Amino acid sequence: MATATTSQTRNTVYVAIFAAMIAAMGLVPPIVIGIVPVPITLQTLGVMLAGALLGPVRGMLSSLIVVVLALAGLPLLAGGRGGLAVLLGPTGGYLLGWIFGSLVIGALFKFWVLRQKSQTGRMITGLVSVIIGGIGVIYLFGIPWTAAVTGLDLGTSAVGAIAFLPGDLIKAVVTALVAVTVHRSYRALMS
Amino acid sequence: MIAGLNTSYLAKLPAGLKFGALLIVSIGLYLIGSWQILSVLLILSVIVLLSARVNLRQLRMPLVTLLLILGIVFVSLGIQTTWDSALVSVLRLLTMCMFAYAVSLTTTFDAMLELFQQVASPLRHVGANPAQISLGLSLAIRFIPELKRVYLEVREAQHARGLANNPLAVAVPLVIRSLRIAEDTAEALEARGYDSAEHSN
Repeated sequence: MATATTSQTRNTVYVAIFAAMIAAMGLVPPIVIGIVPVPITLQTLGVMLAGALLGPVRGMLSSLIVVVLALAGLPLLAGGRGGLAVLLGPTGGYLLGWIFGSLVIGALFKFWVLRQKSQTGRMITGLVSVIIGGIGVIYLFGIPWTAAVTGLDLGTSAVGAIAFLPGDLIKAVVTALVAVTVHRSYRALMS
Repeated sequence: MIAGLNTSYLAKLPAGLKFGALLIVSIGLYLIGSWQILSVLLILSVIVLLSARVNLRQLRMPLVTLLLILGIVFVSLGIQTTWDSALVSVLRLLTMCMFAYAVSLTTTFDAMLELFQQVASPLRHVGANPAQISLGLSLAIRFIPELKRVYLEVREAQHARGLANNPLAVAVPLVIRSLRIAEDTAEALEARGYDSAEHSN
């Protein structure tokens, strides 16, 4: 078997730390923002950040690790949830959505956002990317899964997800701001 | 939701068997359309759960949340379609979750993780490095408490500025510190000449 290069170990560490960050966000009390009626957890923010800061492959792996650990039994999902029942229940699709969401956000950042020259350009494309990957993709997996598992039609399942939209939009803005700022200081983060 | 010290007959079954059985049962439940049969299966699943002497206290929160969601599903489906199909859907979901709880609460975390890694092991033929996968999982687990501590520290520090509920004020320091931890850890592993290939089986 080929020797693992040092950059491979380094990448694994980054993936693991971000996975731990996402998991930690599920273990702490949610945040109450004045404008949004529901307390929001930052966990989806972590998923978005993993993709935006680590790129498609490493970001996806971070989310994958969190999902695997949660399904294996650790109460890492917001609300102290874990175990296989989460996957089989109405919200199982969102777990898959996290994995592909990070992937899409990472790909968009790597091949589109980071190629922008200006900070403003990066902020705008960054926000669009996070909305596509962090909201679009995640809901794309979550809503049909809910419909398939419960028997509700897509419309009703979508309505159920709408409650989270304001919080997720705020998280998308925060992700774009944080990611673009960090990339300016850490230029080698996503070669 | 961790399978603590369960010592029942279910705990003695291999994880792969329980997981596979759960998948088959779940698929099977979707093929059944009669609420009468599903009611019987639900009772059966509860019996399985109770006979496995699981720690019922761990089920309190998930069960409450689940029943809440199912209540909404029941009413929505009943109004939109028929009450019969609403009952079928809710019974099916409840039964499936009961069986899932039975598996999750009688299978240790280590056993489940090992099962997942076994399932993923064919991936090494397409380039995935099993040693790196193990390392990644172990590191993630090991760092969860530390990052939770960092998160709480950041929130507390921002609380002093009245910014504890500002996601941006919390996210920036958290990310910066997480990146620093990642760099330090990666450096430490490299300084030790860590070569994960030596640790692979």
